[in-house]
Amino acid sequence: MSAFRDQDPRIHGIQTKIRVVPDFPREGIMFQDITTLLLDPKAFKDTIDLFVERYKGKNISVVAGIEARGFIFGPPIALAIGAKFVPLRKPKKLPGEVIKEEYVLEYGSDCLEMHVGAVSAGERALVVDDLIATGGTLRAAMNLLERAGAEVVECACVIELPDLKGRERLNGKPLYVLVESH
Amino acid sequence: MLRRLLLRSPNSISQPLPTSHQLLPPSPKVPFSAWIAAASPAGQPPSSCSHNCRLALRSLRCAAAGGGGTESQPLPNQGMAAQNEKDPRLARISSSIRVIPDFPKKGVLFQDITTLLLDTEAFKDTIDLFVERYKGKGISVVAGIEARGFIFGPPIALAIGAKFVPLRKPNKLPGEVISEEYSLEYGKDVMEMHVGAVQEGERALVIDDLIATGGTLCAAIRLLERVGAHVVECACVIELPELKGRERLGDNPLFILVSG
Repeated sequence: MSAFRDQDPRIHGIQTKIRVVPDFPREGIMFQDITTLLLDPKAFKDTIDLFVERYKGKNISVVAGIEARGFIFGPPIALAIGAKFVPLRKPKKLPGEVIKEEYVLEYGSDCLEMHVGAVSAGERALVVDDLIATGGTLRAAMNLLERAGAEVVECACVIELPDLKGRERLNGKPLYVLVESH
Repeated sequence: MLRRLLLRSPNSISQPLPTSHQLLPPSPKVPFSAWIAAASPAGQPPSSCSHNCRLALRSLRCAAAGGGGTESQPLPNQGMAAQNEKDPRLARISSSIRVIPDFPKKGVLFQDITTLLLDTEAFKDTIDLFVERYKGKGISVVAGIEARGFIFGPPIALAIGAKFVPLRKPNKLPGEVISEEYSLEYGKDVMEMHVGAVQEGERALVIDDLIATGGTLCAAIRLLERVGAHVVECACVIELPELKGRERLGDNPLFILVSG
């Protein structure tokens, strides 16, 4: 579901603050840059508020954020809804015991890690990232949480690129986004 | 559940790490070597990347700014969070931080804040302690250092009404950036900030989870000062005082919650 369709008056302000940078990281890619959103305190606050309003009081005890831009949006949401924040990281960043989930990239593969013991069986979790493209990273994140016995309630992103059909790769789990970019 | 798996040693608020059966002392051959920067050759002119040992810094501090707060009114209780008042929140924050020996390499005692993030009360208290200090001080920029500075910086920025500026490793920020090189134990690294993110005259904080030698924080300060911002203070959850990062910051104030 997209708040854009609901036409919450805050959405327009958020959307106009996202900067599109052509040919980054490679030619032909239109990069959705959320850093300009973070420079506008009202728009950044509205972004967080929209997620918090949706998830507060829903008995969600875990907000998992995907490195690195998920670390910007996840913790404010976690703090506001009283959930713990769990960072999901690239390999070898988390100290101590981790579980790993490999996922496929356009060329090659990558790996996401989560701390053993961060999440308990039966906990209700959100996965947060700035953007969903193909959905590969989010799917890996969901797998990590589910392997630890958590229930992924929803994936939440600021931006969706619907043409890349990431929504279909989430094993039927719901996806909530604020803006779409075609 | 996580605590049962931990090799726990509480971080004291104001004392060095206690030695105990739970805690491996650092190897005397390699004390915190991961964070000690290599010295730059004496006699070479300082460049943007030569601020990597205290000898060079005596002639060229990473910034000459004095005091926090306004030019004439530094922020109170500089340096340590409420140490003298013994804020009751600090004990829980300190004990929620996990120490992992021999990470990323042997002899290093890694201060892991992820366990603090799992304690909702401790995480909230951590943010509150910073917000209470910085709210209403005319700070318009919170700059956070990738990646753990991204966890603490945004909640602080949101609460004090400032913008959040991510300071990133190379080639992560799209569009035009300015770059600052800094030294590591072996070799160098680069920190980047977006052109136009910060305006001249803005008052800024720099946030990271931990200060070790201070090299990363110095690079962050230089980036902000290059665009004409005034760095009011650097704020970290943890300080490793033996590595003398505070000294490396020179006149730039440092505020921390716990000492590792």
